[in-house]
Amino acid sequence: MTRSIVRSWERALVPLAVAGLWACGPKPPQVAPQAARDSVVAAARGDSLAAVARRDSLAAAARRDSLAVAARADSLARSSREAARADTVRAQVRQNVVEEPAAAPSGLDAASTVELAAMVHFEFDRSDLDAASAAVLDRKLRILQQYPRLALQVAGHCDERGSDEYNLALGERRAAAVKRYLVEHGVAEGRLTIVSYGEERPLDPGHTEEAWARNRRAEFAVTAGAQP
Amino acid sequence: MVVAASLLLAGLAAAARAQDTIPPGGVRVGITYTPGTRPALAVARVAGAPFDSARAVLERDLDLSDQFEILTPPSLAARPGDAPDYRVFRAMGADLLVVLAPAGSEPASVEVQLHDVRRGALVRRTTLTGAEGGAERRWAVHRAADEVVRWVTGRAGIAASRLLFVRTGQIWRVDADGYGLSQVPAAGRPALSPAWAPDGRHMAYTAFVRSGQPLVLQDLVTGDRDIVPSTEFGLNITPEFSRDGAHLAFAHGTEAGTDVYVYDVARQCCVTRLTVGRFSDNLSPTWGPDGRHLAFISTRAGTPQLYWMDADGGSPDVAARFDYGTTGQTNGPSWSPDGQAIAFHRDVNGTPQLFVLDVGMRTVRQLTGTGRNEDPTWAPDGRHVCFVSSRSGAQQLWVLDVETGRLRQLTTSGGARLPAWSPRLAAP
Repeated sequence: MTRSIVRSWERALVPLAVAGLWACGPKPPQVAPQAARDSVVAAARGDSLAAVARRDSLAAAARRDSLAVAARADSLARSSREAARADTVRAQVRQNVVEEPAAAPSGLDAASTVELAAMVHFEFDRSDLDAASAAVLDRKLRILQQYPRLALQVAGHCDERGSDEYNLALGERRAAAVKRYLVEHGVAEGRLTIVSYGEERPLDPGHTEEAWARNRRAEFAVTAGAQP
Repeated sequence: MVVAASLLLAGLAAAARAQDTIPPGGVRVGITYTPGTRPALAVARVAGAPFDSARAVLERDLDLSDQFEILTPPSLAARPGDAPDYRVFRAMGADLLVVLAPAGSEPASVEVQLHDVRRGALVRRTTLTGAEGGAERRWAVHRAADEVVRWVTGRAGIAASRLLFVRTGQIWRVDADGYGLSQVPAAGRPALSPAWAPDGRHMAYTAFVRSGQPLVLQDLVTGDRDIVPSTEFGLNITPEFSRDGAHLAFAHGTEAGTDVYVYDVARQCCVTRLTVGRFSDNLSPTWGPDGRHLAFISTRAGTPQLYWMDADGGSPDVAARFDYGTTGQTNGPSWSPDGQAIAFHRDVNGTPQLFVLDVGMRTVRQLTGTGRNEDPTWAPDGRHVCFVSSRSGAQQLWVLDVETGRLRQLTTSGGARLPAWSPRLAAP
């Protein structure tokens, strides 16, 4: 499950050497060896991202068969896509382009579209899924199994009562719990992305128990439709 | 450009300056007053009111420093440049007298003088820069007020500082005296959690963009901005610079939980993970003054509580003791500039209230009890705290003098949250 995350950080560690905007002054001449020393130090501690990435790459090297080669080719392609996306993000931030995620048409009938969009709700300061939530997700599972090209973004939201910043972490945990449930029930990890909006996007602007309950939720957006 | 490099250099310079501003013990320009009582101070009036706007700013700054009893001077004003009549001020009980007087031959040139009323002597003076009525002059008056505080107490005041905060998803700024409220153009909607670099010129914040929530580093003067490398994707929140500006601590969220990381600003590389709380949340890092420790919030024991650790992630431990199941959620920590206190907010009966942890004694003291009070940030003097309070009906910024308990409202309209207090600033 951590593979794609590790990759993005792995990738991130390399371009740091060429992060031109940051490095207008004289650049340290030997960034890569320094990074290597860092990862050795980190690995010695056994808990850093670099260490995880290193273990991951060692493991990958160990099972280098034809499938792994194919997977590696795929990962290289994805990593260059990711690098391009990172550049886009940089450009957007520099120019302050705020872009809403463009919802992809699901290409499904109305009933399935509604089913996919059905929200999951949470108790106060909790990210675990109750039976009602599981039932909502099970109905999505059937659609996801039927249309293997469908991809979703899961967005975690909170009510206004907790701390603003803590709620961003809590929203992330809620979205992650939903994704974990779907992955555990057979949906490929790559079809699901998560995002947290904390308490920044309330569904109900009220300050009542009912409003708070409505706002503690996970929302679903289609990021790739069912049809090719 | 050169954002990171200039950040570091300025940070180091700021650290050097900071050392300069703390004189050796006992240097108090010969003024003595009983400990525990504040010296009485008057700002003299000058006939013809040539420096009236500067005088008003100066008097208010000295009042807001909470270091003096401010006395209203006699309306019978002296002529500009006249030696003060100490008998008048002695009779009204003043210990100290501040005078604005012409300096040199330039008509616009003004100096701020501090007089010891009991001894009847001028003890310190500083010249104001900038033209009357301009932004530079206003800031020079703030700097002079901070100097007066330093002359008397040994520690500079906080008038020449300002705050960044969030209002309707945008970043705003306001001077420490409530003046100069304006929006700071920033990327993302919303933009959250602004943090000052110690150079007073750069800030970091979380920007909500399409890909996620990257951390943005922005030059407050030019507006130039860029993403902190490796924060392009996912959740990247609660940035805080180390006091020397060399490191930026923040929290990065993934499907496996949220953890504290540190980015090496000085070397422009090397994001290092400091916490390993699988499926727990670790966030809101705040640096100890020596850069060797970080306090942070963690849910490793269930609810969010205050912990600390070494700056390399070692020896994590509970900082503010709590009783499992009864102590309320704890969030928003801010380590004071002198290192002796960590302010934070903690739920009391479902409502956040400000608390302060005495780092040496390991005791916790509650500071507020009216309305919601949250997200404290320390002023550079280490005795004032700005925070968000709902006591006026809407969420606004308030400033509390932790030593006297005096409270004042800083913003009055539009809502406000997530304040960050700047270091002392050399220029407006």
